[in-house]
Amino acid sequence: MPFFGEVFSSEIIRKTVLDPRGEDLGRVKDLSVVKGDPLPRISALIVERKKKTYRLDWNDLNIFNKRIISSKLYHNEIKPYEMPEDDLLILRDILDKQIVDANGAKVVRVNDIKLEGYNNEAVLIAVDVGMRGILRRLGIERSGEDIAKLFKQSLPYNLISWDYLQPLAPKLTEISLTVPRQMLSELHPADIADIISSVSQKDGANFFSNLDVETAAEALSELKPEMQADIINAMDTEKAADIIEEMAPDEAADVLSDLSTERAKEILEHIEKEEAEDIQELLGHEEDTAGGLMTTDFLSFPPDMTVQEASQRFRAEAREAENVYYIYIVDKDEKLRGIVSLRELLLAENDCYLADIMETNLKYVAPGEDEMMVAGIISKYNLLALPVVDENHYMHGIITVDDIIDILLPPSAKKKRRGV
Amino acid sequence: MKFWKNILFFLSVMGPGIITANIDNDASGITTYSVAGARFGYGLLWTLLPTTVALIVIQEMIARMGVVTGKGLSDLIREHFGVKTTFFMMLGLLIANFGNTVANLAGWAASMEILGLSRFIMVPVGAVGIWILVTRGSYRSVEKLLLIACLLYFGYVVSGLMARPDWGPVTKALVVPEIRWDSEYIMLSIAIIGTTITPWMQFYLQSSIAEKGIKKEQYKASRLDVIIGCSITDIISFFIIVTCGALLFPQGIRINEASEAALALKPLAGEYAYLIFSLSLANASLLGAIIVPLATAYYICEAMGWEAGINKTFREAPQFMWIYTLTIAFASMVILIPGAPLVFLMVLSAVVNGLLLPFVLIYALILVNNRKLMGEYTNPKAYNYISWATVATIIILTSFLVVSAFMPLKS
Repeated sequence: MPFFGEVFSSEIIRKTVLDPRGEDLGRVKDLSVVKGDPLPRISALIVERKKKTYRLDWNDLNIFNKRIISSKLYHNEIKPYEMPEDDLLILRDILDKQIVDANGAKVVRVNDIKLEGYNNEAVLIAVDVGMRGILRRLGIERSGEDIAKLFKQSLPYNLISWDYLQPLAPKLTEISLTVPRQMLSELHPADIADIISSVSQKDGANFFSNLDVETAAEALSELKPEMQADIINAMDTEKAADIIEEMAPDEAADVLSDLSTERAKEILEHIEKEEAEDIQELLGHEEDTAGGLMTTDFLSFPPDMTVQEASQRFRAEAREAENVYYIYIVDKDEKLRGIVSLRELLLAENDCYLADIMETNLKYVAPGEDEMMVAGIISKYNLLALPVVDENHYMHGIITVDDIIDILLPPSAKKKRRGV
Repeated sequence: MKFWKNILFFLSVMGPGIITANIDNDASGITTYSVAGARFGYGLLWTLLPTTVALIVIQEMIARMGVVTGKGLSDLIREHFGVKTTFFMMLGLLIANFGNTVANLAGWAASMEILGLSRFIMVPVGAVGIWILVTRGSYRSVEKLLLIACLLYFGYVVSGLMARPDWGPVTKALVVPEIRWDSEYIMLSIAIIGTTITPWMQFYLQSSIAEKGIKKEQYKASRLDVIIGCSITDIISFFIIVTCGALLFPQGIRINEASEAALALKPLAGEYAYLIFSLSLANASLLGAIIVPLATAYYICEAMGWEAGINKTFREAPQFMWIYTLTIAFASMVILIPGAPLVFLMVLSAVVNGLLLPFVLIYALILVNNRKLMGEYTNPKAYNYISWATVATIIILTSFLVVSAFMPLKS
């Protein structure tokens, strides 16, 4: 059945369908959607006739546009239809639901759906999330335009292309495209966290499960602790472990510390041994002490290394490290001897030894130190990171400035959920 | 140890039920109870017990929906009943809540006037104050202020105890129903239910529970929160009626306004009772004037899919900010302009509230019984009978209120 031009779903719903003789076949109750290439397409019209529902396949249609819908079949030839849960229906499952606009990085509500002709099929091209969509559904789009004209305004078309949509409901995921996934990983993790906080828990967890592991790990660390725990608890252990493993050890430890002991243990067992040991060590510290804030992920080089060797090793390791601005000079017993900043490393002669250029007047804290103390030192000496060292000079980890900034900022500046 | 653990657990969930129930006693509620006490003494006290039960039955379902779905009531109505239903419901809510805001600002104006402060200064001060608080303040500071303001309601308990009522007749009047075929008596008893169970508070409660992110496992604590909250509301109402019933009723003093009650108390119970009554009224009115417009803006934006949030600017969330700002601005104007149709607005608001309530309650019952949505948390069969009966009774009673607005009963 050829279909050209464009039409909104609200202009189709409740319209009369005619049979080949031009007699009343029933009214459009809903539209069934299936996955298509490149866009999801209408597979059938659900028609209501005398309180019973029937299915009218797309290929059995003769004319389909804003004004006339007619079928090649008579009323005794159409198939009864029970509206099964598995089918995806526009009115029942998509309209009025929340959906994520990956381009604008926000949650929107579907007011209407725009269909367009493509290869003789009607494809879902965009959703209307604006005032026009609401007015059209109420049947007063024209009056709305007139009123807007009175105020010398025009009603904007607020359409979001289907390419940029990321569904929240699992059902819709089936027809979503591969494109949004790429869009999603391009979203800033903080935006993803915002989106998750502004929908219900269930939808949030669902949305989260669509992210790739790397994006998920970054987004998870931006979420509030309670939400982190909810999301991890809702996931299967394998996937949860993958995400936790991808996170920086200190953030991973923060997430695990909010879970029940058994669940945390279960997840740790699925994580690579070395990484798990790091996290385990961090878990041993009180949350509001230096030990609880620190990460075990830092660059540590031996003192007898030359600047040239150090530069090569830096290139190899820095990609994965959380903080690259300080290199910690640690001897064979893992005792902290000095610090070389990235600037000093770049400016030094190639054949110098690190021991010669390192700063030895060090600022550091003990693992049990209170977080306010840590914040004070970082703020006083303008540091990007502060080493955590015990009484035997053994180096445990570093606290980076972004871990401490939440403590330094007043509560109102932190991210919060919308609330009444 | 277990005991303390349970207490701690409850405290983490507590809040939405208690705050919602407290704000429910806004200016119009306090007026109704004061008038009832002054006119019929303890005669209407018995209505409080069934009202409390009805309130708990309904709030419990709403709270359960909030916990299980994690969504607000306006979200659910939009998703299940479509744009048309939602649009008219939100329009109704906007009108009714505009009336509520006017009533609250009027209560604020009256309480300030009996304290000797001109309404032409205090209404603009109050309106601008709450506008700035919400648009320029942070959510945390607003929430803290609200919680402190909730404590001030206990002034009514103090004034009730200070009135030294004779507890024997009070207890009897509370538990023994007394039905009088007097049109004013019947209207007032219906008004008590109408002012206690309102449409907007259902939306408010469910949203605040959803926002708090209370989980299914914590639902029992949340239910306790609702039950305690509903009981506190009616304990406050009880003491307002008792104060007016013990002091004003024997003197035959008739009042029409909560502020008149404060004035009338002055010669009878002294400076303190007068101060408590006027300050509590000011507090309740202002609290209502903050929450009602804010809540309205939230539900409408949520249902329509517009940006909402108190930390947003006019550019980021235009609909939200305009609804909030204009509601307060117009409501203050209505109070300040002499000859503005204040009474008409009050009646309109009561009528729209009464018309809206059946829809809100019936939709809520349909949603709470939707297995796809609620899973194993739908109403048990027996509970369904109770809730349908409660809803039916409330609907019948409030429709009396609506009808009587068009055809006043002759006594």
